[in-house]
Amino acid sequence: HAQQVEQVDTEPTLATLQKYSEKGADTCLKCHDEDSEFPVLNIFKTKHAMAADTRTPFGGLQCESCHGPAVNNEWMQGDQPEDGHTVNKVKDGEQRPPMLNFGLKSKQPVAAQNRMCLGCHQGNTHIGWQGSQHENSDISCASCHKIHTPHDPVLDRVKQPEVCYQCHQQQRAEFYKPSTHPLRFGQLSCSDCHASHGSAGSTLLNKPTLNQTCFSCHAEKRGPFLWEHAPAAEDCSLCHTPHGSIHPALLKKRAPLLCQQCHSQRGHPSVALTASGLTGSNPSRLLLLGSCTNCHSQVHGSNHPSGVKMMR
Amino acid sequence: DIPEDVDTSRWNCKNCEFEEGLSGSFSLGLGTVSDESFKFGEYNALYQDGAFPIADAELRYRGEEADYLNLKLQDLALDSRVLEIDGGQQGNYRLMLNYQQLSHAISNSAQTPYRGSGSDTLVLPAGWVDAGATSGMTQLDASLRDLELKTQRNRLEFGAAYIPHSEWETALKVRQEIREGSKRSTGSFFFNSAQLIEPVDYVTNELDVSATYTTREWQSRVAYYASVFTNHNESLSWDNAYNPLTAGADEGQLALPPDNQFHQLQFSTGYQMSRATRFNAELAVGRMEQDEDLLAASLNPNRVVLLPRTSANAQVDTTTLNLQMNSRISEQLNVKAAYRYNDHDNQTPSELFDWITTDTFSAVARTNLPYSFTDNELDLSADYRFSQRTKLSAGYQHKIKQRTNQEVDETSEDSLWGKLSYRSDNDIDWLIKAEHAQRDASGYNLVAQTDPSQSLLMRKYNLADRVREAGSISASFNPNESSTLSLSVDLAQDDYSDSLVGLTESNEIHYNLDSSFILSESTSLHDFAGREVIKSHQAGSQTFSVADWFALNRDTTDSFGVGLKHLLMENKLELGADLVLMHARGEIRIENTANFPDLETNLETLKFYASYQLRENMTVNAAYWYERYDAKDWALDNIDVDTLSSVIGFGETVPDYSVQALMVSLRYKF
Repeated sequence: HAQQVEQVDTEPTLATLQKYSEKGADTCLKCHDEDSEFPVLNIFKTKHAMAADTRTPFGGLQCESCHGPAVNNEWMQGDQPEDGHTVNKVKDGEQRPPMLNFGLKSKQPVAAQNRMCLGCHQGNTHIGWQGSQHENSDISCASCHKIHTPHDPVLDRVKQPEVCYQCHQQQRAEFYKPSTHPLRFGQLSCSDCHASHGSAGSTLLNKPTLNQTCFSCHAEKRGPFLWEHAPAAEDCSLCHTPHGSIHPALLKKRAPLLCQQCHSQRGHPSVALTASGLTGSNPSRLLLLGSCTNCHSQVHGSNHPSGVKMMR
Repeated sequence: DIPEDVDTSRWNCKNCEFEEGLSGSFSLGLGTVSDESFKFGEYNALYQDGAFPIADAELRYRGEEADYLNLKLQDLALDSRVLEIDGGQQGNYRLMLNYQQLSHAISNSAQTPYRGSGSDTLVLPAGWVDAGATSGMTQLDASLRDLELKTQRNRLEFGAAYIPHSEWETALKVRQEIREGSKRSTGSFFFNSAQLIEPVDYVTNELDVSATYTTREWQSRVAYYASVFTNHNESLSWDNAYNPLTAGADEGQLALPPDNQFHQLQFSTGYQMSRATRFNAELAVGRMEQDEDLLAASLNPNRVVLLPRTSANAQVDTTTLNLQMNSRISEQLNVKAAYRYNDHDNQTPSELFDWITTDTFSAVARTNLPYSFTDNELDLSADYRFSQRTKLSAGYQHKIKQRTNQEVDETSEDSLWGKLSYRSDNDIDWLIKAEHAQRDASGYNLVAQTDPSQSLLMRKYNLADRVREAGSISASFNPNESSTLSLSVDLAQDDYSDSLVGLTESNEIHYNLDSSFILSESTSLHDFAGREVIKSHQAGSQTFSVADWFALNRDTTDSFGVGLKHLLMENKLELGADLVLMHARGEIRIENTANFPDLETNLETLKFYASYQLRENMTVNAAYWYERYDAKDWALDNIDVDTLSSVIGFGETVPDYSVQALMVSLRYKF
């Protein structure tokens, strides 16, 4: 969920944190064991706690790499903290010194939380994060990612959609429709098509264009064909909807009306096909079964020399 | 890296429970499905009734030197099996091997008189009697054979990544997907047609190579992507089951998807120009190629024509460029400017083709039209944060799309949008969005080559003048990290009021409610409910003059779900239940004519699951799944193989199932 940005007091108080704890992670783990309100020990089953990989928090400043006054604070705060406070065990009645924490209830600005993650995760597929729709909507990294767990749900093909549905509720409902991509059963996940950390297009797609994204699984429709169907070459979403439809093949509506939105040629394409063409005395081949595709089956384009009308 | 002035001599990390050595789990069990249903098992591989083994496994190894290995095996006994191996030394190199099967059960109620289903040649059985209409095909009933339509994708992927230096990362991915099976198609001889089984025997090979350079200020990535598609069948031919309309029209041939390739070089970069300003750019240059040998214009020996070339020689060059500048001018004000360019340049030669319509009649020669598109788009937007609780955003977009060989050379669209996010005193997050856009076409001129020509009044909706209004409002409340309540309404309306024939209006509205609550330390509840209405109006002209028929489409989908999770016996027993109901209704009305019956779909799905920890390392998992589905679809209901006089159908039934599945497994952890 988008978080409201809370900027009051956070930066000045953070700036009062002035050096690292004397005993590193041991300081934190005295309290944050499995029985605490905020258990953290599962971090040791994650990539972040790989001490031999010096890029990771536990190859460096341990818990304080992310939560404490780290070199990243300079990036985050603009000023290097001076000397002073030590993060130690909080005694009874003593207030915890402010520290950078993450997630929905964090008091730190979303941008400050994210800058900490971006300190290491700014390359590769995250290059486009800044200025992306999610960044622009004040989504923090921790809105979607869980760090202190061996299996971050958003990185699991089966569990990922539930994370996305927290905000994208309309899409959850769409995936229960009769015609859909197989997210419900874990065969696909949102990130098979979408780049949640930013991409060029309007809907955060993995590939530079919508059709390229579709062709990565449907390469047989890529062509280019000798006889192209203009809308298919231009934009799959002119006829199809990606998440779910009550019509077969994820179509936006039924043929013949789907086709008649663009085809009004003299003769059978322009005829109103009414309910009188349903079963009964005169069932219509233009209306039933595949309707127009009963004859014009090559709607994605044809490579047959006689395929101009998508019938070969 | 640890800064030099930090004293870490006492950072012993003695409480750090680093994972080391081998661990893992495996599950073995049995499941059973009560009924065969290709719709229930459309994608989950449970399309057959009867028992199936459950076999899953996971293995993890963590070494002291950041070396690691993950192994995952899932659904070993089903057509949806997954194998994932991922290992290496973190921070240095990584090797991956993945295998995934995706099954798509399409239909098990189809019948056909054709022999050779699954191959590229469909023949009628000996003794077949041609007729002018299906009712006269005396051998049809006796010739029918049951069919199963199903495709299966088997994907094998190898990946490797190597980090030669902390600022560099290189990666390679090679994937092969074999897709086999059969799917629906149709083939016709003029107006007489038959539903046909199209063979699917595809191989897609993909290659992805990338190198990334990352420093704090500057990040860049260069990548090469190749996708090579091969279809082992170039055509599908079938016997004409009808009396030939001209002599020699005895066999038809469809071109199947041609072998093709796509290659693309992509460069992305991000540069932090200052603390406040960032520049991003992405350039992708690609080429789509397809040069399959062309089939004969007809299999009819009496209809032979000379083709202007022997292969497709089709090529499209693609270029996309995106430039974006984002600057936080002050703590309150953020501005963004973006330019997007997308070019789809179809280089396929345009030539005059003599052709034969449906292997039957000679036709007037036609020219193939290679369609090209070019988009230019400018986006400007700004966010202003009035206070910590209130942010206002607004933007302007100008988009020009140019097309070749179509009715409109250029459309130009201007959009304005605004967004207000506000947190009220009671900590409810409100989000209100509104958009207005207007698209104008440069002029609508019929494409001369279209034959027969379109109605002069037709305005294809992707080319037409359009006014779009969209808006949404949502409220969400998070009493704590694990509880949330949110409500939203989204609506959009597209008005094509200058279109007299074609799509004239379309709109949609979505209502959604979603909540999850921690009811007690051991009980949580989540639920959702939604309604979606998608409506459109269109007009046609069967007299080929003024618009004389008007149609309405309205699709309404209601969905509701509720789930409960409860922990008992000191968290050793977890019980859960999930119920989802979905009802969809599709209405089609053509003014002044009798109503179409509604298209309807009902889905009820209920899952109970339990997990009991027998011992520290052993858990019993059980799940019961009940799913009921029924649908009404006038396009298929009661349409038998010979109901239509000029289409030999598959005689398929609309999916209607009630399936129960039970799964019990024992998970052992080590």
